[in-house]
Amino acid sequence: MAELTPKERVMRLLKKEPIDTMPFFSGMGMVVMPGIEKSGFNFATVHTSAERMAWSAIHSAKLMNFDCVVIPYDMTMESEAMGNTISLYEDSEDILYPTIPNKIWSTMDEVVVPDKIWEKGRLPILKEAIKIIKENAPELPIGCWQLGPFTQAGQILELDVMLKGVFKQKEKVGETLDKLSDMIIGIGQHLQEAGCDYIVLREPGVAADLLSPKTFKEFIQPRLTRILAGWKSPKLLHICGKTEPLLSMMAECGADGLTVDIKCDVRKGREILGPDVLFMGNLDTYTMTCDEKTPVQTSIDHIKDMIDGGVDAVMPGCDLWPAIIEENMKACVDTTHEHGKKASPAVGRL
Amino acid sequence: MATKEELLEKLKEGVVEYEEDTVKEASQQWLDDGYVALDGIMDGLAAGMEIVGDLYDKNEYFVPEVLMCADALYGGLAILRPHVPDSEEGINAQVVIGSIQGDVHDIGKNLVKMMFDVAGWDVHDLGRDVPLENFVEEQLRTDSEVVAMSAMMTTTMLGMKKVIAMIKEKNPDVAIMLGGAPVTKDVANLFGADGYAESAGNAVSEGIKMIGRLREMRAKG
Repeated sequence: MAELTPKERVMRLLKKEPIDTMPFFSGMGMVVMPGIEKSGFNFATVHTSAERMAWSAIHSAKLMNFDCVVIPYDMTMESEAMGNTISLYEDSEDILYPTIPNKIWSTMDEVVVPDKIWEKGRLPILKEAIKIIKENAPELPIGCWQLGPFTQAGQILELDVMLKGVFKQKEKVGETLDKLSDMIIGIGQHLQEAGCDYIVLREPGVAADLLSPKTFKEFIQPRLTRILAGWKSPKLLHICGKTEPLLSMMAECGADGLTVDIKCDVRKGREILGPDVLFMGNLDTYTMTCDEKTPVQTSIDHIKDMIDGGVDAVMPGCDLWPAIIEENMKACVDTTHEHGKKASPAVGRL
Repeated sequence: MATKEELLEKLKEGVVEYEEDTVKEASQQWLDDGYVALDGIMDGLAAGMEIVGDLYDKNEYFVPEVLMCADALYGGLAILRPHVPDSEEGINAQVVIGSIQGDVHDIGKNLVKMMFDVAGWDVHDLGRDVPLENFVEEQLRTDSEVVAMSAMMTTTMLGMKKVIAMIKEKNPDVAIMLGGAPVTKDVANLFGADGYAESAGNAVSEGIKMIGRLREMRAKG
């Protein structure tokens, strides 16, 4: 059979249908400096225009041979749409993602999600960017993501309000998470209607080095489950940090697949999940792709080890840091395609 | 009237059980009964925080619990610290601390700051989202022995490397401590840092061990 396009490869994989070879894709930031440079824009400006976002994403994917494009790049769109001011670091020489330096709300009581939030702030550019990507790179699947409610709460309130609230204001924390979950479902549905091909719920603020598995079960799991039920497939769940104690619960949330970062041992993860769960990860996004001292062979070995360890697709464990070393990055992608020709635990080969 | 041991136990337990009011009352009682303030800090509050560190290491406590214990500790520290004469502060050292530019997270930074506060260091807290050159300027201005930086996100971590280079160029003797979720020991080594704390919680257990060592030194001295 002729080689699949990246879109065919990823969409088949997400349905656990046989593919030609393993894709290198993600549900988190995949924009890299060569792509940004080719589009001729400055990093600080790619977050605020559909055109710039779309083209920097397309060029990044094509230059590096990624099996997807992912938008947006930053985590502040919703918080900004709720009235917070973002810092774009336009004057910085470094690559810095937008942040919310000061939040307008200090208590959970103040949180109000505007109606049709996807029409506010920068959120409308996502629909437009999806359209541009579809027209110009139809062979690439478009991944979009939403932060989970606990992590999103950290974008609109000081995170310690939520962390302490887990003990001191249980009811309020529950209400706030529910309010944000409704918003996340709504934005996700809107992105799916706009044509995003798969969606990832990423909730890095709840890893087992921050919250207890008991708290995860009580507060987080029910909300993640409700959000995922509100979206159509394909939909994935990603948690960064220590996830081994959470994997079984993550698997019950209703996602079509799970993704993890370098703090999760993929062999142990696979053992916990068994062979049928679509399990992806966990490229080290600093050492293997950005550190000029890392030999290319080390990056290649890292990918092979991940594949041999039982992932169904290689995914960066976090947003790719844009300042990649091209040789290492390309080697990671090429190795995934070459070393991933044999069937993985949950996905067969054509 | 409570004995000295009973009050120390109350300070310790109050921190572990995150009962801020109990800690405040016991701290005031400690002073009213004429005990040495620094003993209350080190053998009460800090000893309690050591237990918290153990509970964190054993996965019995997580970051929310540690944050609440920290609040209880600060409640007591605010009462006891003003009564510690300068000459009695076990250590005469300074630290510059902050979250790196692009990073608006400061939980880990604040927990590490607490450890330095407890240990009696002069803490120069630059806050969060701190421009890189501010670390260098503040270190030079204060002649601090330690610079502690945190980054919660991979995307901001690289700024640390630049700060380390800038500081080491001007003053190679400064000890540099890195922490934050994406920072691994390998990264800290690659960047040329002297110390490393894996996460907010790990910073706690590392910081607590440091306090433990200071307490041992004090007991011997």
